[in-house]
Amino acid sequence: MPKCNKSEAQAIDYVYGELDASQVVDFERHLSTCNSCTQKVNAFKRVLHFVDEAEEELTSHVTVPHNLEMKLYRRLAETPPVKPSLSSRLSEFLARSLLILQEQKVASICIFTFAVITVAFFVGNPFRPAPTFDMSQIDSADARIEQYRHQDIQRSMEDVLRKKHLRNSDKWDTVSDLNRVKDQAQGTDWANIAKKQLKSVHSEL
Amino acid sequence: MDKMIDDEMLVAQFKSGSQKAFDELMKRHERKIFGYLLRSVRNYEDAEELTLEVFFKAYRALASWEPKAKFTTWLYTIASNLAIDYHRSKSRQPVYMLEDEDVIEARLVATDISSNPEKHLEDKERGRIIREAVDELSAKQKTVFMLTRYEGLQIREVAETLGMAEGTVKIHLHRAIKKLQTILRPLWENNEI
Repeated sequence: MPKCNKSEAQAIDYVYGELDASQVVDFERHLSTCNSCTQKVNAFKRVLHFVDEAEEELTSHVTVPHNLEMKLYRRLAETPPVKPSLSSRLSEFLARSLLILQEQKVASICIFTFAVITVAFFVGNPFRPAPTFDMSQIDSADARIEQYRHQDIQRSMEDVLRKKHLRNSDKWDTVSDLNRVKDQAQGTDWANIAKKQLKSVHSEL
Repeated sequence: MDKMIDDEMLVAQFKSGSQKAFDELMKRHERKIFGYLLRSVRNYEDAEELTLEVFFKAYRALASWEPKAKFTTWLYTIASNLAIDYHRSKSRQPVYMLEDEDVIEARLVATDISSNPEKHLEDKERGRIIREAVDELSAKQKTVFMLTRYEGLQIREVAETLGMAEGTVKIHLHRAIKKLQTILRPLWENNEI
């Protein structure tokens, strides 16, 4: 009788249907000559048959519990929803953003630009340079102020000359008005004009 | 709902907000999952509670589930993990379904025991002894055995379900069958079963 070279595991695989077709042919050829393996195979088959019967007996008359769905939804309602972790929420947000950018490039870019402008408007543009003084604007403002000053002096001078013409007899009032205009027009040509007018009035006194 | 729609399609519908899609998934698989857990824990109430837990976990995790494997494989993964945890946490002896009055009542209806009451009692006792032998297996051996034998999963699918190498699954299976043979052989040789 040839020595058996088959393992117990092969016998189990054979009984359990885990051998491929060529292995089955080979093993069955071996079984025809090996009494030991034949006994093992029969024993395993018998074990599985017993267990199958017992398990079938257990479950054959059993029905699925009633209202399993209702119990599930009641339990779900009583349980707080799963709160996703920060990392999962962040990754989901990024993934969705990328998807939107891929699918709707134009719309997304417009929305993104609008969002940036809005943020810059309300929060302030962090890239904006620090505020500086515009010297040209200041120069022009000074010139404008000087211009107004000249207009005021001119108006005062015209007012004094008009009054001088109207009150021929009261020259001291004219002297007083011309001295006021001369002080107002310090550093301008109007000061010299005021001096000349004073000289003229004094000569008439 | 259309029976032709496969599970993965229903999952996609659920992700899009269809509650009915989950109802359909549950209706399709609750019997198998309950049967599997009942065989594993041998107690009707516990099996019901664990089945509820399987679908509760599935419902809460389905939104982020990626269909890398079959939906049923995923369900069996949840169920198997719960069953293994159950066996680890329970030190008490299993309570057999046949002790459950509802089941006994169902059997009374299904079987005409008046014709052969002695045989009925013998069968009942033999079934109990054999199931006790199955419960002698380690949690992993029993899980592998149940999944391959009664849930129709291939070795590859069991490996995927339990996160094991196929070789490891085979080792658990071989040891399970060998152990069953070691326990049961003396019993049938002595005509006890």
